[in-house]
Amino acid sequence: MEAAPTISTQGLTRRFGELLAVDNVNLNVSPGQFFGFLGPNGAGKSTTIKMLTGLLAPSSGRIEILGLDLEKNPVDVKRQIGVVPEGMALFGRLTGSEFLNFAGRMYGLDRETAAKRSAELLDFMQLADQPKKLVTDYSHGMQKKLAMAAAVIHGPKVLFLDEPFEGVDAIAAGTLKSMLQGMIARGATIFLTSHVLEIVERLCSHVAIIQKGKLVAQGSLEELRAGVEAQTPVAGDDAMPGEKLTLEQIFLRTVGGTRKTEQELSWLG
Amino acid sequence: MTDLTPTLHTRGQLAAMAGLRCRLFFNSLRTRRGKMELVSRIIVSLAFTVAGLGGAVGMGLGAWYFVSESKPEYLALLLWPVFLFWQVFPVMATAFTNNPDSSDLLRFPLSYRSYFLVRVVYGAFDPATALGSLWLTAILLGITVARPALFFWAALILITFAAFNIFLLQMVFAWVERWLAQRRTREVMGVLFIMLMLSFQLIGPAIEHFGGRSKPQVQRWIEIVKPVQQVLPPGLAADAIAQVSHSEFMTGWSSFVLLTVLAMAMASLLHLRLRAQYRGENLSEVRASGKKDKIQGLRMGWSLPGLPTVISAVLEKEVRYLARSGPMLLTLIMPIFVLVVFRLGGASATRHSSFLMRAPDMAFPVAAGYTLLLLTNLVYNNFGGDAGGIQFFYAAPVSFRQIVLAKNLTHTAILVCDIAIAWLAVIFLYGPPRLDVALASLTGVLFAAPLNLTLGNLLSLYSPKKIDYSAFGRQRASQTTVLASLGVQIVLMGFGIGIFVLARILGNYWIAVLIFLCLAAISISIYALTLRHMDRIAVERREALVAELCRA
Repeated sequence: MEAAPTISTQGLTRRFGELLAVDNVNLNVSPGQFFGFLGPNGAGKSTTIKMLTGLLAPSSGRIEILGLDLEKNPVDVKRQIGVVPEGMALFGRLTGSEFLNFAGRMYGLDRETAAKRSAELLDFMQLADQPKKLVTDYSHGMQKKLAMAAAVIHGPKVLFLDEPFEGVDAIAAGTLKSMLQGMIARGATIFLTSHVLEIVERLCSHVAIIQKGKLVAQGSLEELRAGVEAQTPVAGDDAMPGEKLTLEQIFLRTVGGTRKTEQELSWLG
Repeated sequence: MTDLTPTLHTRGQLAAMAGLRCRLFFNSLRTRRGKMELVSRIIVSLAFTVAGLGGAVGMGLGAWYFVSESKPEYLALLLWPVFLFWQVFPVMATAFTNNPDSSDLLRFPLSYRSYFLVRVVYGAFDPATALGSLWLTAILLGITVARPALFFWAALILITFAAFNIFLLQMVFAWVERWLAQRRTREVMGVLFIMLMLSFQLIGPAIEHFGGRSKPQVQRWIEIVKPVQQVLPPGLAADAIAQVSHSEFMTGWSSFVLLTVLAMAMASLLHLRLRAQYRGENLSEVRASGKKDKIQGLRMGWSLPGLPTVISAVLEKEVRYLARSGPMLLTLIMPIFVLVVFRLGGASATRHSSFLMRAPDMAFPVAAGYTLLLLTNLVYNNFGGDAGGIQFFYAAPVSFRQIVLAKNLTHTAILVCDIAIAWLAVIFLYGPPRLDVALASLTGVLFAAPLNLTLGNLLSLYSPKKIDYSAFGRQRASQTTVLASLGVQIVLMGFGIGIFVLARILGNYWIAVLIFLCLAAISISIYALTLRHMDRIAVERREALVAELCRA
C-alpha cells in the first residue's frame, strides 16, 4: 500500500488582483522524498512555498501536511515543519546564539534542550566563532546558515527551503547538503526550490516544475526524463542523441525556454 | 571641502532621485493603507500649517515693530526661538521627523558631492525646516515692510542663518547616530546626555536668582548675557541686520562673515561624517579584525516564573532589542528627564504662580500622566523593529495572542519602572503624595494603559511600518498611527483631567479612584477582548505585514 503523502495540495490557487500566480496546483510529496520544486523566475515557486508554510493564504484549494489540513490546524502543522523562507525570517538585533535559543523555545523546546541544540548547530554551521556578533552583521551566507539552523532546531519532519543555497559558498553548501542528506536518511521530507539545477539534480529524488502558475511536470527524475525525451529539443538544448538528459535539459524542454545568445545587448563589453 | 556646485551629471542624479521619491509616493497610493497615510499626512500638515502661519504672523509683526522702532538688535528675540525650535523639535518629536537613510544610494556611481547634496536637500524636508523657513520668510517680510532698503541684506543674512540651521541639524543627527551605533560611544553619549539634562536643573535656580532682583540688576544681567548671545548664530544674524540698519557696515559685515564661518563649520562637521559613510565605514559592534571572541559556554534563555516558554522567549527578545537600541533607550528616558527638568524649572522659577506649587498634590498625577506618553513610542508599532522576523512569527507554532501579550508585558514593565522613577522624583521635589491622590493616579494609569495597548496592538497590525532601532531621527510609525495615537492621548488625558478636576471640586479623591477603577475594568475587558482576536487579525493582515516589514 502506498504511504499517505506528506505534502498534498488540491486545486491550490492564488490570485494577486488580476494576476493568477498559482493556478490549480495539485502536488503530492511522499514521506522521505527530497523534492525539488523548479520553475522560471516569476513562475509561482515562492508563492507556493509561502502558501505551504502558512505565510500566505491561498485564494482557493486545500493544503495537507502530514495528513493535517493546514487551514484548520495551522499550529499543529507548524510544530512539525521547518521553514527557511525567501527573506530568511531572522531577528537582526540578536546574536546567533540568542536567535537559535529563541527559535528553539518558540518551537516548544525546553530551555536546556534549546541551549544545547543552539550550541551544537552553531558549531556545525561554523558560526560559533563570534558569539557576540549580531545577526545583522552576519554575511549573507552566514545568515542563510543561521536561518537553516533555526529551521531544524526542533527536528522537523518536513523542511521547506526557498533557495537555500543562494549566496552560500561551496564549503557552506557542502555542510548544508550533508545535513539535509542526513535528515532524509532519518526519514524527514524536504521540499526545496532552487535555481541551481545541478544541486537539485544531485540532491533530489523527485521534482515538480511550475510555469506561469501551472504545474507542468511532477515525478521522479527518471519519470520526467522519460516524459521529455520524445519532445523536440529547444534552442540551447545541447543534448546528444542517446545521451542521458540532464535536469537542465529536462527543465528547458518542459518549460520550452530558449537561451538568448546573440544579437541583444551588443553594447555590452 | 569639495565644490558643491552641481554638474550636469549630478543634476541628472538628483532629478532621478526626486523622480524616484515621486514615483514611490504615487505607487504607495495604490493601496488603501497608502491612501490613509496621505490623508493622515494632510491632516498633520494642516495642523503644522495653522501653527506655522500663526507663528509667522507673530514673527512678521515682531520684525516689523523692532525695525520700524529702530530697535533691530531685538530681532535676536525672534531668531532665538526659531533656532531653538529648528534644532530641538526634531529630537523631541521623532514621529514627525523624516531624516532619510541615504546609505542605500551608495551602490550607484554617485559622486560624493551628489551624496552630500542628497543628504542635505532631502534631509531638509521635515516640519522643523519648513516652519523655520516660513518664520524666517515672515521676519524678512516684516523687515522689508519696515525698511525696504534692508531687503537684500536681510535676505542674505537669513538665508545664511537657515543654511546654518539645516547643516547643524543634519550634523547633529549624523553624529548622534554614529555615536549611538557602538556600545562604547553609546555609553559616553549616555553620560553626556545625563549631564546635559542635569545641567538643565540649573536653569530654574538661575532664573530664580536673577528674577528676584531689582530692575537695574536684571538690566546688568542682560548686559552680561548680551555679548554672549551676540556671538552665537541667532545673535550674529540679528546683529548683522541691526548694524547695517544703523549704517555700521563694517561691523555688520563682520557679523555676517562670522555667521558664514559657523555655517561652514557645521557643514564641515557634517562633511566629515558623510565622507566616512561614503567611504563605506562599518559601524557594526564587531571588531573589524579577524580576532575571534572567546567561545562561551552553554547559555540558556530566560525563564520567567509563571510565564509560558513562548512569552518568556518573546519578552527576552524584546528586552534585548531595546537594550541594543541607543535611540530607543534615549526616547524612553527622555520623558522622565523632561519631567524632572520642567518640574525643577517650575519649582524654582515661579514659586508663587506655578500650578504644581499651588497644588503639589497634583504632582504625581501629572507625572504619571506624562509617563504614559512614552508608551506611544513603543506600543503603536509593535512589529516595526522585527522587520523580516515577522515571517518567523508566522512560521512558528505559536499564537499571535502570546506574541502580542509578551510585547505588551515588556511595555508594561517599562511603564511601571518609569512610574516608580516618577514617584521618587515627586517625593524628592514635592514630598510624598497623598494616598488617595496616588491611588487615583495609579488607577488612572490602570484605565489608560490598557486602552493604549489595545489601540497600539491594532494599529501595529493594521498600519505597520518597518523601523530601524539603530537609526536616530527617523519616523518611527506611520502617519496614520501618529495621528491616531495623538488623538487617543488627547482624549484619555482630557478624560483623566476631567475626573481629577471633578474630584478636586468635590474635595474627595476617592471618587476619582472609584471612577477610574470602573473605567479600568472596562478598558481591561476591551484589552482582553481584542487580545483574543489577535490571531484572526494577524492572519487577515499577514500579507500586508510581511510585505511592509520584509521589504528591503
